[in-house]
Amino acid sequence: MYGIFLASLPLSARVCCTLFLVGIGLGALAASMQAATAVGLSYGDVVASFAPEMPLTHIGHGQMSAERPIELSQLRHTTQSWIRTPLLIQTSHTHLFGQTLIAGLLGLLFLFSALGERKKAVIVALPFIGTMLDIGGMWLTRFVWSPCAVLVLLGGSLFALGYLLIAGIALYELWFQREVHP
Amino acid sequence: MKQRFSPSWIALTLALWLGSGSVLAHITPPVVLLSEQEAVRGMTGGATKFFVREVRLTAEERGTIRQQWGWPAEEELYRFYLGRDATGQLVAAVIFLTEFTIHGPVRVAVGLNPDGTVKDAKVVELTEETLPWLEVLLKQNLVQDYIGRDSRGNFALGERFAAAHIDSMPQFYGQIVTSLIQRAAILFEVAVLKRTGKV
Repeated sequence: MYGIFLASLPLSARVCCTLFLVGIGLGALAASMQAATAVGLSYGDVVASFAPEMPLTHIGHGQMSAERPIELSQLRHTTQSWIRTPLLIQTSHTHLFGQTLIAGLLGLLFLFSALGERKKAVIVALPFIGTMLDIGGMWLTRFVWSPCAVLVLLGGSLFALGYLLIAGIALYELWFQREVHP
Repeated sequence: MKQRFSPSWIALTLALWLGSGSVLAHITPPVVLLSEQEAVRGMTGGATKFFVREVRLTAEERGTIRQQWGWPAEEELYRFYLGRDATGQLVAAVIFLTEFTIHGPVRVAVGLNPDGTVKDAKVVELTEETLPWLEVLLKQNLVQDYIGRDSRGNFALGERFAAAHIDSMPQFYGQIVTSLIQRAAILFEVAVLKRTGKV
């Protein structure tokens, strides 16, 4: 961009960009491990954490009480993260700020890639769209329709895919690209 | 030899894994002290048959609870697990109630006698961050003080804890646990006993 490319950056800038990308990658890995132990990473885990709890009886609208026999083995014997509205608000605001900031910094760095403008525009948009999809997915899962949990996984995956593409291409251009063909 | 895993598939798998992680990060890790199954089994000793009863509060009942106990009772449904003996008599009812705090949820199981008094209570789930605060009180048998009390009993943190000069965070979380125990007794009284007289 403006005649400046990653491949032509001075050594200090290349070191700075590289360590930033590595740091973000390590942060994402740590976050993944934390999430895997705390919540779980499957569609079912996301639904269980965000969606409203479903009745165990056939209690209908307007009905004040319902009862049915149950086996103790049907009761939960594993851990479950409970993310209700107050925690959802808290999670949303920290993640929207945090992830958007990361997406912005990744995008800023990637603007100096020698990749074509169209490809660059698509890749640079991935972390932003991913962030909006996953936070939006959480709210939709909670308040609209449980299967929207898939948006949470899709959004997160887009964010990570964007990071991997940006990091991979940027690192290649920073350290291995000799000639620039804008 | 045919390549089984192309770099693009590895990248996509890694992306999915990283992506899920980045989405769900920063949720306080839960600590389960007791499973729901264990809690119900432990509080319904002697029961041979189990039932789940779900209740929805009427506007009038919500109003009563708010007026008398200052609790809004906003959940759509409340769920009791009922343990009955061979003759069908209620041994105990168990309800799980959760308070969502800024440091994560605290979930308590409360066992209730057929007359609505507290039979037993256990903290079943909390978070790594809140565990040390509550552990101080649980080691001193916090819930023991409230067994036998009904919804109108005193559920303030006991004087023995005030005298022990416990820090503010354990006191805060202790009060949350005792409030949850009282809420269980309130719900049983209002949504079960007052409606039917007996279970």
